[in-house]
Amino acid sequence: MNRDSNAPCMTTQSTGMAWSILSEVAQRLQALARHNEPSTIDLRSLPMTQADREQLEELLGHGEVRARLEVAGPTDIWETAYAGVWWIRHMGDGGRIATEEIAITRIPEIFLSDPHDVSAAADRIRTILDEGYDRLAALEAPHVHI
Amino acid sequence: MSTFETASRHKTLGESLTERGISRRAFLKYASYTASILALPPAAATAIAQGLAAARRQSVIWLSFQECTGCTESITRASSPSIEDMIFDFISLDYHHTLMNASGVAAEQARHAAMQENAGKYIVIVDGSVPLKDDGVYSTIAGISNLQMLQETVKDAFAVIAVGSCAAFGGIPGANPNPTGAVPISQIVTDKPLINISGCPPIPEAMTGTIAYLLSFGSIPELDHLGRPKAFFGETIHDRCYRRPFYERGMFAKSFDDTGARQGWCLYEVGCKGPVTYNACATLKWNGGVSFPVQSGHGCLGCAEPGFWDMGGFYKPLSTGTGDATRWVAGAAITGAAIGAASAFAARQQRKRVLKEG
Amino acid sequence: MTLLEFARGPAMQVALAVFVFGVCYRLFSLFLLWRTHDSSAGSSRQRPVAIAALREIIRRLWPQAAYKNRTMFALINGYVFHLGLAVVVFALMPHILFFRSLLGVSWPSLPNNVIYAVAVVTVASMFASLAMRFSNPAMRIISTFDDYFSWLVVFLPVITGLIATSHLGARYETLLAIHMLSVALLLIWLPFGKLMHVAWVFVTRSQTGVQLSHRGAQL
Repeated sequence: MNRDSNAPCMTTQSTGMAWSILSEVAQRLQALARHNEPSTIDLRSLPMTQADREQLEELLGHGEVRARLEVAGPTDIWETAYAGVWWIRHMGDGGRIATEEIAITRIPEIFLSDPHDVSAAADRIRTILDEGYDRLAALEAPHVHI
Repeated sequence: MSTFETASRHKTLGESLTERGISRRAFLKYASYTASILALPPAAATAIAQGLAAARRQSVIWLSFQECTGCTESITRASSPSIEDMIFDFISLDYHHTLMNASGVAAEQARHAAMQENAGKYIVIVDGSVPLKDDGVYSTIAGISNLQMLQETVKDAFAVIAVGSCAAFGGIPGANPNPTGAVPISQIVTDKPLINISGCPPIPEAMTGTIAYLLSFGSIPELDHLGRPKAFFGETIHDRCYRRPFYERGMFAKSFDDTGARQGWCLYEVGCKGPVTYNACATLKWNGGVSFPVQSGHGCLGCAEPGFWDMGGFYKPLSTGTGDATRWVAGAAITGAAIGAASAFAARQQRKRVLKEG
Repeated sequence: MTLLEFARGPAMQVALAVFVFGVCYRLFSLFLLWRTHDSSAGSSRQRPVAIAALREIIRRLWPQAAYKNRTMFALINGYVFHLGLAVVVFALMPHILFFRSLLGVSWPSLPNNVIYAVAVVTVASMFASLAMRFSNPAMRIISTFDDYFSWLVVFLPVITGLIATSHLGARYETLLAIHMLSVALLLIWLPFGKLMHVAWVFVTRSQTGVQLSHRGAQL
């Protein structure tokens, strides 16, 4: 890209947005601490530059928990240095960020296994076990009693 | 249609995707993404995920009329990321000229079968305008005019989505002098819920996000006075443009590639129509958030607005007139001068007469 | 056709045509009238015509001592809104581009927020001039439709411009169209009312200067 090196590029300058969001996080974390009220801040909808995003990540820091999900593309989730403040980065294939949120909660909902998935899994594991037993029975091992 | 396909049509999306090993967790991720682009509060993700999981695979009939296929290109370019691709798991594209396997008579049979099977529940997506002049002979498919095909297809539809500025407003076929009598879909479909997703082409996420909303909530999202979803068309490019500070400070690029242009200054002077164009280009951007026309150095064309092609010229600033006033002004000057001279002459004659009469 | 398309299209063309017609008509119908010739000998202190004319135009920019105190507020207020209008009309980039499309020339602009501040001051100053006209009994008696209507057609573009740039009350394209239509109204009215003083002020002051200079006087 042809650009003067001295030219101010609005997409890379810091606008102070990181501090506004931090103060929003502070308020919501209070609400979580006092009234157990979870909430989420959608980062994609806010007018943030790349520099703002990096500054916010630096301000919030990284804590004890880091997770990578592989569901419809990768998702990175980490608890920030502040307990109860989680950064959720949803990506599509190729690592492109699809959407980003800050969840103020004891545990982000996406970590929880969905009841439908659980009962589907229970059925699946039952099926595997049944098939396994059948195969064992077919091995004509007399000392194995099912 | 095979029994397998009919059977799968009756499963919920949750069930059919579980069978393919896609978990409910994927719904939640997709729902977070969709809530974000629809500008809904993040808490809506749960409702969207549940709505989608409980929905049936949506039958979609896509009618293409006087169009360039750009809208199809746009929606299928909803990047490679699989999260954006998920919409194609949620819909059953039963009829689409470019994307379907069948052609000819088989294709038309597929259309009629889908209409019958899903009567009252299918969505019709239309791109391209419909020509009305000379009984619609300027665009025909399968031997019938576009007007006929549209009217017969929307009869039992649940909703109609007009994608692209051609379908929404008449677009390029409808531009001056509009030789085929092209009209927008809204002029023909008046008794069904109609959503306009304008743009030339529309932003992919605007199309897929609207379909996802329809699927999750079973209702039409909030629309503006032109029938466009406010989630994507509620703000102008100017309102969210990252170059806005330059506009306010009076720093404008005077021509393409001059110093101001290289510094990323406002493009008002080279014809940007951002202030009067409503679309999500400045926030959602294109190609998965890479860039949009202004960021790439070209002013907004106003392609999501009616009659953008006839707004006076892409490179004429918004504050100038659209017509050429030269002839009018020249004529006015000559007429004014002539009448002025005549009145002065008449006054002189009157004075002479008065003086002579003493 | 949307309101904005109408405002940028036929409305602007008609307004420009009527404006040019009107100005040409008034200039030609005046300048082609007969001149009264003063055959008396000019005073020894007589100056060349052009100099006399120019001198008088400049002298009249500021009142004589005898009238100064009584007219000071009207004078200052008048300068405030005249200069304010000049800044708002000629120093805002979108306006400069409008002139460029008509005349082919352009000039540097001022930042938008500076213009905004000047426009607000201009609005206040114009309200003051209207208040003066109302509150002064003599002024009220002699004021005509022309006085009030001319004030209105100058005021409307300023206030609609401020409203448009503040995005208040309606969608932006509607506010912009209303602003452009108010300018069209101004252009149509200008040649036919007292606003024509944009030309006449120079004519009358020059004429006075030349006449007085012929007699060797200065007022």
